Amino acid sequence: MLLLPPDHAAAHPARPRAHPRLGRFALRVLIIEDDVEAAWHMADDLEGFGVEAVVIHDGAQALAPGLGDGSFDVLIIDRMLPGCDGLSLLGQLRERGVETPALFLTAMGAVADRVAGLQGGGDDYVVKPIDAEELGARVQALARRRGRTSDTTALSCADLELDRLQRRVRRGGQTISLLPLEYRLLEFLLLSRGQPVTRKMLLEQVWGFRFDPRTNIVETHISRLRAKLSEGGGAPLIHTIRGAGYVIQDA
Amino acid sequence: MSSRTPDAAASAPGGLRRFWRRTGTRVLALQALALVLAFGVAGALASVSIRQISERAYRADVLGELASMDDEWRHKGVGHLPFTVAKRSRLWHGFEYGLTGPGGGYLAGDPSLAALARAGWTRPMAGRRLVLAYTEPLPGGGWFTVGRDLTAEQDQMRDLTALLALCGAVGVAICLATAYLTTRWTWRRLDELSSSAALVTAGRLDVRAPVKNPAAPDEIDEVSLAFNAMLDRVSRLVGELRRVTMDVAHDMRRPLTRLRQKLERLGREAQSMPKVAAQVQRLDAEFLEILRTFDALLQLAEIEGSARPEDLVNLTDVTERVTEALRPDIEEGGRTLEAVMEPAIVRGDSDLVAQAVVNLLENAARHTPAGTQIVVRVEANSGAPSLQVRDNGPGIPDTLKNLALAPWGRLEASRSASGSGLGLAIVASIAERHGAQLELCDAEPGLDARLLFPDATADGA
Repeated sequence: MLLLPPDHAAAHPARPRAHPRLGRFALRVLIIEDDVEAAWHMADDLEGFGVEAVVIHDGAQALAPGLGDGSFDVLIIDRMLPGCDGLSLLGQLRERGVETPALFLTAMGAVADRVAGLQGGGDDYVVKPIDAEELGARVQALARRRGRTSDTTALSCADLELDRLQRRVRRGGQTISLLPLEYRLLEFLLLSRGQPVTRKMLLEQVWGFRFDPRTNIVETHISRLRAKLSEGGGAPLIHTIRGAGYVIQDA
Repeated sequence: MSSRTPDAAASAPGGLRRFWRRTGTRVLALQALALVLAFGVAGALASVSIRQISERAYRADVLGELASMDDEWRHKGVGHLPFTVAKRSRLWHGFEYGLTGPGGGYLAGDPSLAALARAGWTRPMAGRRLVLAYTEPLPGGGWFTVGRDLTAEQDQMRDLTALLALCGAVGVAICLATAYLTTRWTWRRLDELSSSAALVTAGRLDVRAPVKNPAAPDEIDEVSLAFNAMLDRVSRLVGELRRVTMDVAHDMRRPLTRLRQKLERLGREAQSMPKVAAQVQRLDAEFLEILRTFDALLQLAEIEGSARPEDLVNLTDVTERVTEALRPDIEEGGRTLEAVMEPAIVRGDSDLVAQAVVNLLENAARHTPAGTQIVVRVEANSGAPSLQVRDNGPGIPDTLKNLALAPWGRLEASRSASGSGLGLAIVASIAERHGAQLELCDAEPGLDARLLFPDATADGA
């Protein structure tokens, strides 16, 4: 069912290989996008992370048996498909009991579109054009979300512990006092421990901004958070992935 | 903007002037004036001719009475005349008399008629009555006057004038009422047309003027159809412009992003050569700037192309969130940031409102020197909230304020500072989408940017 262009394998003989900045995640993704070129670009970008991407250009194909039955980790659906709206397509898949996380793509980020997309069973919503790193990080976040419940009360990374009930952060037994925003930033990073999160994801999830301010909000807060986490002299936990985002992990 | 009916327009003082400026009103006033003039002329002519006819009749009456009196004194002698006058005065039947002796002394009748002493027709007063009198000399000296009472005629003329005035007033009223009723229909439709035009001016390019009967258009339908055709063309052009902008920004973004990624890789590989690495870093910063400009352009096109957002947004929360997000960066730049908040709700989209606050704050932070004090203020203003971002930096000269709001209108003085130049244009565009007004005032010194929102509780028609 892998619908690749004939010259694809020849053009990229070395794939799949690890992405230089995000590593490899070995996932299977279904891309439903009518714009052929954009679809192959995305598939190409994803394969850079070791993600196996299957591309179809027609919404009706997605409803064929075997495609939406859970053999994919993430669905990437364009909102505007010929003959079928991406929103109603996902609705039909959800009715059939397909629980695969879905990411909506849209040409325009109109508010009404976004709200409708998220209410219609979508798990994430991004406005085209989307960078390779952004797409990779989001696909990975969606795939990992399945196995993880976000109501875990205790989060940790190495000797860093975050108690979500008492909203308390300790490192090596030492309590660290954080401002509310810093706490939320750390909480979000820990919820995605080991996975890259992009600037855009942080802006959306921590600050609630659907746009990218010119001011280095994320950088400034990350550097303050880093300083606070390393007050007791521990090794840095938050790592920068150049051009892609941040990841919290044990060295 | 609600459509204004002519009645509503006439009730407001400004509306009254607008009402008077209308062609229909002026034509009506002219018609009324002509009608009043016509009634006046007709009334005057009628009264003149009636007066002439009755004058002739009264003269005949007077001459008849005189002839009968002449017979009397010719038959009985002049000496008997005072008795005849006294008798006829007693048996009053519409005539008054005056008689003087050969020496000019009063003999009989009404004293004022007796005092006339001049031959011919006169209109003297006899007591309190106006009379038409004829005086003739008596043989052997003295004067004899016979007068006809005109009171009845006067009353009749007064009644006639009153009747004419009444008819005139009723006529004018009917004329005005029918003309108003027929014109009002036209006015109402013209009002619909002008309120459509006002909506279009406010940015609603989807609005069209109503056409009552497209199959057989009357003159107003013709105007509406022409107006709509013009709007179709304008919105098609605007749409094309927007699409071209979007397409260019969209298509350029991917190759630029890839170029930037390659540049990054080059930078990493060139780490052993500090000079090259520094160059690459500068190039990278420039690329980021270009990408951001395209993003801003896409966003501008998106905001301008989107429908008016209608959610209730807590302006205070949004402003606080943005202020706290930007605070560390602004303070690290050596500026102070103060926030004064009142609870306020606006109608719109919280993302766009947040974006506007971000842009205003970034504008204040980027175009001012270190040490500048920035104040963010949200005021409730009893339902019509305002957001104010004020700094005490160099400010913007009055002449350049419009330019600052236009896309690409970055000011010459701050051209060295990086920026896409679209920040305030995006704020202006967001303001327009929210029915809000963006004002750039002089804070003496500094810039005082204000977003004045409409009342959120009023229905956003």
